[in-house]
Amino acid sequence: MGDSKLHVVSTVTGDDTHVRHGDHVDTIQSVDIVFRAQRKLSFSYGAVFFAVTLSVPASSVWWTAWYSVEIWGGFTANYLFVGFFYFLFLWVMAWTYSQQADKLDERLLMMAEEITARAIDEGVQS
Amino acid sequence: MNTLAIVLVVGLTLFTIGLSIFSRRFTRTTADFYLAGRKVGSFANASAISGDYLSAASFLGVAGAIYASGLDGIWYAAGFAGGFMLVVLFIASPLRRFGEYTVADFAFGRFGSSRIRLITVIAVLLTSLFYMAPQMYGAGTTWQVLVGEGILGMNAYTSGVVVVAAIIAFYVSVGGMKGTTMNQIFQFWWLAFAMILVVIFAFGNGFDYPETLKAESQQPIVNTKAYSAGELVIPDDDGVTPYERAAEVMTGEEMVAVDQFIASGADGTIRVAYYATNKLHPERQALFSEPGHRYNGFDQFSMVLALVLGTAGLPHILNRYYTNPSGKAARRSTFWVLIFIGVFYIGSTIVGLAGLGIIREFLADGGTINADTVHGLLSKPDQLMPALGEILGGQWLMGIVSAGAFAAMFSTVGGLLIAAASALGHDVYEKYINKDASEAKRVAFGKTAVLAFAGVALLIGLSIPYFGLDQAYPALIAMMVTWAFSVGASAFVPMLLTGIWWKGTTEKGATAGMVVGLVGALTIIFLNILQQLGVIGHDGVLGFVGSLTYPVLFTFPLGLLTIVIVSKLDGQLPKNVDRIWMRIHGTASERYEKQYGLDKVGSMFSKAK
Repeated sequence: MGDSKLHVVSTVTGDDTHVRHGDHVDTIQSVDIVFRAQRKLSFSYGAVFFAVTLSVPASSVWWTAWYSVEIWGGFTANYLFVGFFYFLFLWVMAWTYSQQADKLDERLLMMAEEITARAIDEGVQS
Repeated sequence: MNTLAIVLVVGLTLFTIGLSIFSRRFTRTTADFYLAGRKVGSFANASAISGDYLSAASFLGVAGAIYASGLDGIWYAAGFAGGFMLVVLFIASPLRRFGEYTVADFAFGRFGSSRIRLITVIAVLLTSLFYMAPQMYGAGTTWQVLVGEGILGMNAYTSGVVVVAAIIAFYVSVGGMKGTTMNQIFQFWWLAFAMILVVIFAFGNGFDYPETLKAESQQPIVNTKAYSAGELVIPDDDGVTPYERAAEVMTGEEMVAVDQFIASGADGTIRVAYYATNKLHPERQALFSEPGHRYNGFDQFSMVLALVLGTAGLPHILNRYYTNPSGKAARRSTFWVLIFIGVFYIGSTIVGLAGLGIIREFLADGGTINADTVHGLLSKPDQLMPALGEILGGQWLMGIVSAGAFAAMFSTVGGLLIAAASALGHDVYEKYINKDASEAKRVAFGKTAVLAFAGVALLIGLSIPYFGLDQAYPALIAMMVTWAFSVGASAFVPMLLTGIWWKGTTEKGATAGMVVGLVGALTIIFLNILQQLGVIGHDGVLGFVGSLTYPVLFTFPLGLLTIVIVSKLDGQLPKNVDRIWMRIHGTASERYEKQYGLDKVGSMFSKAK
């Protein structure tokens, strides 16, 4: 794990309850809180992704109107979705997910600042 | 010989080599050689990842698959793109935050055992070799089409494999990850440029998307196949001979040639056209705008899952996330990758459809192209891109497209060589063989590993026709890519997902899951090869297992289940699991780097200290 020194030149200290990089601290409690929120976010998006992705072959197998009825020119709903809208769906999912994940990172930042400030107040900085 | 096309390919090659020599001055440390100094920004890294990912299979194969199979070919493209959704949601950011060099580093850091690191190294090497095989085969076949003759006494196929292996070995060993990254960025944009040009020329030629789709879906998809004179008159299970099926499709004039071939009693084969059948809805015709030409109901599901899970298990793609300066940048990179490859694949869908009418009309008007055709269709759909380039834009466009095909091979094999070299150089040499090696020695070993793996890639490329694999599989490039995806998805993805998202994963659980996934995937793949070569039959358990086209549907859940069960039974978490958790999901390191400007990108060209 020593390779982290390649991109972090600060003294990395800590134990199993917190990690410090310079003035920046992560505690296991704050990381756990954000991890749970992150896990909820990722798995919610994952569920939507797999539901939509697997609904395409399911519709191709069982929904006649989906794969056989032309809705514009020669486009069936199946063709139009797989040939264009599926990619649009991926772009929107990836963008909104990234935005929300960034907000979670900011939440961790605020929590860490509060923890550091509290530690300074209590005079127990290591 | 296509002189102008060859000049453009040579130009691309010289530029690639020049870029590597230029980047050499910026490569001093192992972090430079393997990770481009971790200074690659989101947009640049997305371009490099796209170049890394879009291989010959994507550039030539996807458009060809759509040309031959319609909607089922597009489903293939959608699966390729969908894989990056899994990467952005579950893997990209945590992997980058862990801040190492390789996937094997992650396994070691997360579970703290040399055993799992070495198993990961073996899996990385096997996945890389499986993925190199179709690229080298593509190099040989593209040379056959483009140049048509060999050099230095070698045949055309061997010449292509040798030349491409030599060029890639040189540019990767000289330029390392920085040179490879710069090349992959350039090569991706060349690919995108070539694809967009063909699309623009197709629309300029009068292509109307909805109307062409309607016209091409009026009658069943037509495929072609080569038969010997004897095979043409043997009835199938429905009591219909290939000759009779061909007569339903081909013109009287075309059938005269078939009759003459049969009457001559000549050896060899003749290619005929026939209407395809619908594998999904046998009662319906196999139409271009409907599913069922390529995949039955089971494969409609298993194919897309194999591609989605496989993308998240490709080590040369995962390694690229370590070159980003932060977890946030890794997420943003993946978003841009989805945009880039999405646009690329939408272009492929247009080219695949447009090619049908354009080539048929061109040939009907008396035009000739440098590819075999039957009934107005290309015998080898993988030749669609260069053939369409030749028809729509002459030698110039064909040259740009051919250079694109070589760019696709260069960028992907370059990434694979770096991944394989880092597995051997960083994960084995630096950690176990010579821990005190100087930076110069480490980089020198990495370069030696690149050359060694290029040699292995060369041997694999040459052995494919030797063992008759090119005859056993009708779409060999796509098949071999599927194998690489299956090995990666079965070996890595269960370990990565549980290692990142379930604290209760133990070293024994992860190791057992990796072994089960890896061995399971390899077993099914080799049984499938043996079945195609006629060594084993289709009956019994072996026959059933050997007939599985996409092993990942079985091996991924098996690996995942093994990890969960063994971890629960074992219960021995790493002693410092909380600290590991903070390293994967915490951001203190990134905040520190941001405070002091260490997260800045754009300094990839600064000289390393």
